[in-house]
Order: sequence, then C-alpha cells, then structure tokens
Amino acid sequence: MTVSTQSRGGGGVVDRGGGGPGGGLADVVELILDKGLVIDVFVRVSLVGIEILTIDARIVVASVDTFLRFAEATNRADLYGKGAKPKDLGELTQSITEGGAKGKTSGVLDAAVDKVGEMLASGREDREAVRRRPRQRERDE
Amino acid sequence: MSDVVSETQTPPDGDAELVTPVYVYGLIRVDTQLPDDLAGLGPSGRVSTIEHGEVAAIVSDIPLDRPLGTRKDLLAHESVVDAVAASAAVLPMRFPAVTAEESVVEELLAPHQDHFLAVLGDLEGRVQFTLKGRYVEDAVLSEVLEGNDEIRALQEKVRDLPEDASYYDRVRLGELVVGVLEQQREDDAAQILERLEPFAVAVVANQPGQPEDVINAAFLVERERMQEFDDAVENVGRDLDGRVRLRLLGPLAPYDFVPEE
Repeated sequence: MTVSTQSRGGGGVVDRGGGGPGGGLADVVELILDKGLVIDVFVRVSLVGIEILTIDARIVVASVDTFLRFAEATNRADLYGKGAKPKDLGELTQSITEGGAKGKTSGVLDAAVDKVGEMLASGREDREAVRRRPRQRERDE
Repeated sequence: MSDVVSETQTPPDGDAELVTPVYVYGLIRVDTQLPDDLAGLGPSGRVSTIEHGEVAAIVSDIPLDRPLGTRKDLLAHESVVDAVAASAAVLPMRFPAVTAEESVVEELLAPHQDHFLAVLGDLEGRVQFTLKGRYVEDAVLSEVLEGNDEIRALQEKVRDLPEDASYYDRVRLGELVVGVLEQQREDDAAQILERLEPFAVAVVANQPGQPEDVINAAFLVERERMQEFDDAVENVGRDLDGRVRLRLLGPLAPYDFVPEE
C-alpha cells in the first residue's frame, strides 16, 4: 500500500514501519490517542488499558532511572573504544591485548580488556580469550 | 451490560429510548470511494458511511460486551483511517470516538459541515509522513565520552567503583550524558528538518520522547511529491548512517495537521 515500502523494498538505510504504514503499536498510540479531531459530542467511554498506554507513550521524564540507564550505556560504549563498533569487538580485543602485552595500555584499556575477557569467557567459555588477558599474560611471562 | 452501552444509551436530553452507538473513524468528502477491504472494530467487522450534504463520517458498530481500548481496537482505528488516507483526503478522529448513531448527523456533520469541507479541501492531495530518528547509542556515546572531559573523568571513576558505592556518581554521569545528548539533538534535528522542509507543505516538529531520540516530526506532503520526499529522507538517512537511525512512517492520515477548532 505504501509507495515508499514498495519502491524501496529492504534496500534503503531508512527503516519503514512494519506491517501497516503506522508501524508498531507505540507509533499508533502516539498518533491516534494524542492527535486527531475531537468533538464534544463524543462520549468518553471507559477504556481498558488506555491510561497505561498513554503514559507509556509520553515518557519524557529525565528520571533517575533514565540517568542510570545512560550511565550504564556510557560504560558499555567505553568498552568499544574510539570509533569502534560492536561488530569490531573481536578485532579490538586482539589489538588491545597485544598492546597490553607490550606494556603500553592505559588503565582504561586494561579494564576494558578485563571486561571483554569476562564477556568472552562467559559467552563462549573461551579459555583462549581469558588466557590472553594482559595480567595473566604478565604472569605467564 | 457494559459501561459503553449504558453511557451511550442515555442521550443528553435524558430520554431513555435505546440508541445505537457507532464508532467514528474519520470524515471524508461524500464522493470519496472507500477501499473494499476495510475491517472495523465492531463485531460485524464492517465499515460504512453516514452522509450529510457533502461530508460523510466513516463509521462502524462497536463491541457492546466490553469497553474499547484493546490493542486490536487501536490498530483497527489506525488501519481504517490510514487505508482511506492512502487514496483520499480524510480528517482523522482521535481515538476513541463513539456517539449515538443519530448524533453523527445532528451534532457532528450538520453543524460543522462547512468547517469540515474547508479542512478536507486543504488536505486534498496531501498525506502525512512521520519521521523518527534515534541515535545509534554506542557511536554517539563514544563521541560524548571523547568530547567531554568531565564526563570522561566521571565515567572512569564510576567504572572502577563497586556498583553500590557509585550510585550518586552514576546518576550524575547519566544526567550529564543526557544533557549533552539533548543539546546535540537540537542541532541534528534542525539539520534534518532543514533538508526535508523543501519537500513538504507543512511540518510539525514534536518533542522527542527519550534522550536518545533525535527527531519526531510530521510532514504534510503532496501526493505527487511522495517519491521525491522519500528519496530525500533516504539521502539524509544515508548521510547520518552509523550515527542516527531514521524510521519513516507513512503515508498516514494527516493526524498532526488537524486544525484546532
């Protein structure tokens, strides 16, 4: 139905709302509960779930929870380092580890490598990755 | 029976006669052809019109055994309105719009006909697109860390402390990051709007909801320029790739361009 979806298929960089042109339920809620014509003749019927939906659609608060979420996300972003993307993690791990072995890593990178090592260890039980952590390597040497 | 029925069954004049409640999706010009495959939110599933002069209301029955407001009800409202909007001018109602069948003409269409016709005339040949943009978290947070010494220092401090010892520092860190993002998005949103405005008749920039949201804007676009607008969005998306993720909804009914009465 939408020209955009038909003409683009999955080729573009811009996401399209899945299903109908309205996308997901959150998009629909934002549109039809917040906007559109209101005439006083309409009865305000009792509505199941609407209060909750409306509140969900309007979370604009700069709450402590939001701040903590961003603190967490910032710590995660730090793991990836400058300009690196999550998919480059394997490569990054290796280069940092090598740097660490030469005694050139800063405290920041050490910690990052520790965390990456933990992630790899817990994720894949990769003993190789754990052994490559700088501190352990120092002991090996 | 449910509240829906008891409320809608009592007309304002106190007359206890039974009335038929109807759901109103939106308003169209009377000569508008409705798509065949519309599915209403009532038990019959059918969608029809109630006409008066040159305007018509798109209506259906409503469920009588439960209050409105389920996910299905919301999606039905949206899909009926947007399906009509795909090919014709429609003035969308806000969810939920329930009234007695006879008041559709008496209280909605007849008294406001001229106003509705004027608005529908303005919307003729135009559709809405809604553009939402969100920062790619890791890329932008790395930028924030790189570019702000205070945040960088605090992040390093927080990272080395046990979680319960760093609570207030973490709150402060998040607050600083959110502040930077909110500042940054003003520039980013302004640039996106500047590039897309030439392709739209009108633009409404809504306040983005979350700190990582960059833009939430509605564009009223001429039907003939839909592809042009779409291409422009795609170009902006390509330039921002890796930093901002854009999502385009539409064509939609012109929810954001319904004039306040």
